[in-house]
Amino acid sequence: MSQTVQITDVSAFMARHLADVFDTMLSMKAVLMPKAELPSFGERVSGSAGFGGEKVTGAVYLHLSEPFAKRVAAAMLGLSPEEITGESEVNDVVGEAANMLTGGLKSWLCDAGSECAVSTPAIIRGTSFAIEPMPNVEREWLVFECGQDRFVVEVHLKFN
Amino acid sequence: MATKILSVDDSRTIRLIVGKAFRPYEVQLFEASNGEEGLAAAAREKPDLIILDVTMPVMDGVTMLTKLKENAELKGIPVIMLTAESGRDNVLQIAKIGVRDYLVKPFKEDQLIEKAGRIVTLQKKPAA
Repeated sequence: MSQTVQITDVSAFMARHLADVFDTMLSMKAVLMPKAELPSFGERVSGSAGFGGEKVTGAVYLHLSEPFAKRVAAAMLGLSPEEITGESEVNDVVGEAANMLTGGLKSWLCDAGSECAVSTPAIIRGTSFAIEPMPNVEREWLVFECGQDRFVVEVHLKFN
Repeated sequence: MATKILSVDDSRTIRLIVGKAFRPYEVQLFEASNGEEGLAAAAREKPDLIILDVTMPVMDGVTMLTKLKENAELKGIPVIMLTAESGRDNVLQIAKIGVRDYLVKPFKEDQLIEKAGRIVTLQKKPAA
């Protein structure tokens, strides 16, 4: 079945899964904005986790503006944003969210016949950086809106 | 006497959420950030329940669970696996080793309390 999985199928799954993660863990409604332009961030917090197996490799990146990442961290921990005082709490929450997104995708790929394993999450912070995929890797950006904020899920995928 | 629960997860976020979920109850919560620390904490504290993540550095949850079940003193401690991976094979693998239940991330705190409450006594703290 893995040969019939397309990046568009993955994107459709990720759109549903992200909404579920935000609703369940944050009580926040995240809506996919089809064909929306990529938002420009100031300081950005990006969580990522990779996955790999014989048939498939890839990664999921969750890009949030720093202020929104702080609100997400507060929501997940049941605190007010003012109570989030350190970068480490925000990093850990964004990393965990990336882990949940990637774990869900991994399960979906495994059930579709593409066994793979997931890496532990990583965090990148900065104001100006770009993530370039390796050659022959398909990439899809999904822009979501959550209240006044827009954020991005980036999926890299390569079938071997 | 408070119910002793051990939360083993490399994510501080998840350990905080687990702690928040059990805060209204007479629970003594212990924490470990990987399977190796989790095994040591289990041997030291003899918890009534372990809530165990699957993917962790140093020693993952499946390895910790396997070692736990090989230890005569610890094998009876019930384990709820907490996993971001809900795939059939993943669930079958951990079920074979012997878990009482599992919970897939994302999860609501109520779901964790419901599953834990089926295994151990959760007594509400008296109102302050």
